[in-house]
Amino acid sequence: MRELRFDKTLYEGTQVDAALEVFGRYGTFERAEEADAWIVRIESGSKARERRLAGEIGNYALGLTMKSRRGASS
Amino acid sequence: MGEPLQGIPASLVAVDLREGAVELKVDPTLYPLDAVYGASFTFIDRCFVFLDRDGERIRVTLSAKDRTVGEDVLHALIGEFANELLACAWRAKITETNRATIEAVTMQAIGGAMGPPSLDELEDFDFSEEPFEDPLGIAQSWEDKYGKKGESAPADAKPKPTESDET
Repeated sequence: MRELRFDKTLYEGTQVDAALEVFGRYGTFERAEEADAWIVRIESGSKARERRLAGEIGNYALGLTMKSRRGASS
Repeated sequence: MGEPLQGIPASLVAVDLREGAVELKVDPTLYPLDAVYGASFTFIDRCFVFLDRDGERIRVTLSAKDRTVGEDVLHALIGEFANELLACAWRAKITETNRATIEAVTMQAIGGAMGPPSLDELEDFDFSEEPFEDPLGIAQSWEDKYGKKGESAPADAKPKPTESDET
């Protein structure tokens, strides 16, 4: 299992959810919420696969957050 | 993540060779969040980028897509990221400084595209504004200042005094 911690000041929750939806078929996710972060635990067969899946989800959530914030500021 | 990278302060950068990852701690008072986002975006195609908070700082973790990369690759990666971060911060600063100019030029362009004012708009225009001050007489024509062409100016003709001359 691999854990990702998305800080609420850096990532938007809706965009993290959207990223998880896109990659949903590649693994199983467990979501939790802390005061300052969204926690995602990823399981996907092997460690290498989990590493890659976590990286892709992180990139996707970051890209969507940036796009969303840029749209909101302009 | 704990090992330092050669040539880079250990308090800023740490590397995890087993994970093929390197992290950089960024001071948000020097590099605004938009600059961090901008620099991160340019690395999304080459590695996995993850942002987190570490106290007051933002921790940027770059993980090579191929985990078996060496320290030299991670060193180059974080060096390039730092340079890109600086460039993004500088661009953000320039944009902020020139915001008023950019807005003025844009407004002029939009105003020009709207075409000349109509007669009704001219009729409503307020022409009662006071003329601008010209203490040095720069806006005066030559004739106003020295007399009309053809009129023989006296030999001792002097320019008409301006407000600044009187004071």
